[in-house]
Amino acid sequence: MTLVILYLLALLDGLLCGGRVSMGRCALIHKRVYYLRALLRGLLGAQIISTVALMTLLAVGGVPSHRAELRDDLQSAAGRMMWVFVPYAIAVLGGLALRLIPSTDLRSATSVMALGPLSAIRSPIMIAGVIYGIAPSDLLETRLLGLFVLMLMLSLEYFLNYFAAKRQAEEICQLI
Amino acid sequence: MLPGIRRSPKITDLIVRHDPHSLERLLVRKQDVLNVFAKFHNRQAMRAVEELRAQDDVLDAREIDRLLVSIHWEMQRLGEEFYHGPRVHAAVSATIATIRAAGHSGPLRIVDIGCGIGYTLRWLAGRTQIVSQGVELLGVDLNSALIHEANRLSRSENLPCHFVHGDAFSPDHSGQIYLSTGVIHHFRGPALWEFLSRHQRPETLAFLHFDFQPSFLAPYGSWFFHILRMRTRIARHDGVLSAARAHTAETLVQAARSGAPEFASGMYGVNIWNTPLPRVFHTLIGVRRTLLPHLKTHFGPLASRLGELK
Repeated sequence: MTLVILYLLALLDGLLCGGRVSMGRCALIHKRVYYLRALLRGLLGAQIISTVALMTLLAVGGVPSHRAELRDDLQSAAGRMMWVFVPYAIAVLGGLALRLIPSTDLRSATSVMALGPLSAIRSPIMIAGVIYGIAPSDLLETRLLGLFVLMLMLSLEYFLNYFAAKRQAEEICQLI
Repeated sequence: MLPGIRRSPKITDLIVRHDPHSLERLLVRKQDVLNVFAKFHNRQAMRAVEELRAQDDVLDAREIDRLLVSIHWEMQRLGEEFYHGPRVHAAVSATIATIRAAGHSGPLRIVDIGCGIGYTLRWLAGRTQIVSQGVELLGVDLNSALIHEANRLSRSENLPCHFVHGDAFSPDHSGQIYLSTGVIHHFRGPALWEFLSRHQRPETLAFLHFDFQPSFLAPYGSWFFHILRMRTRIARHDGVLSAARAHTAETLVQAARSGAPEFASGMYGVNIWNTPLPRVFHTLIGVRRTLLPHLKTHFGPLASRLGELK
């Protein structure tokens, strides 16, 4: 169950990363399709990362003699990570939910006061969450897996941003 | 931001130059730009300019245009996040209702001064019914690359607005309502007075100039927001400088009342929900004195955002 929740949080993170890197790169007025594509790209990126993480987990889990111990340790680590990731996700979703209130001032304020700062602390939150999860762990495999997943999570926004910037540069070069 | 840097010009004001009369693009020497920023000890701007491509010290015009377009795409994102379209629409609709109530039934032209890639007008054209009320939307800018992009974007979505390269106050382009966003702080001292005095054309009935509202926190908030949201070094530098150089309400109102005395002018939308909290943008509004009796009625609930107009 814990791993399923972490997987869903990773998908949510990918979705929002996809949206964030696409912002400011399309100047149309009606851009629902553009944003939908961007969100799907983020979702796909998160799915790829989750699959790689799962494959690695299965590969590591298949080797050691202390399989049951590793499974318990991984679940404990994942449970601790949720203490950091779930409140962060609630804060982000809360900020987004506030934008449903039809007030231009309130919606603008969520950008400045909530969503902006929350996206700024995404990487530190990722690092803090994983460290908090793996630090008390007894097994080296758990720690290495945690760091590997952290690296994947941090690289997601970098690659999404890299490809979005490349597409934008190509588009502008065609225009001018 | 150091006081000296606050007086420094924006990078985008120096890397593109036009002949003020013919509006022809002029060659810009990289070293000249660097020398200007060196005088202000503005290392951040110097680093950004040093990155720009030049041939025989002349800045590559095509690369500059590409850069400007990408910066304006990013700036549009800020407009979207601050819900600038709905804010302008609310104020402009009330102004149009005021003008109509005063008996002006003919066509109206809204002219967006320094429109850039035309986000405000394209938003009004694409998201509201304003054009069906006999209103023409015309954006004017001195930068031909941005005007080209504004027209391309409006064509690609079939929006009923158009954009021209030129002087917004020329007889061909003048309108009944002038508006601008983030433009008025470019005019300093006598240039601000002169800019506002140019609104005194017989056909002009109102103006609304939206710009950053200065406050103690504005430069820091703007810095934080630009670091988070803007990707290019130039956009970050110029965006923060805009907030730092914004005119106070007092300066704007004084300049409007002395430069354009045919209009009753004041501020609009200064504080959030009548609290002391300042909005990011405030608006200099001016209307012909004959419109003044109708104004508060037609601003409806927004009337509480109007300061004293005289």
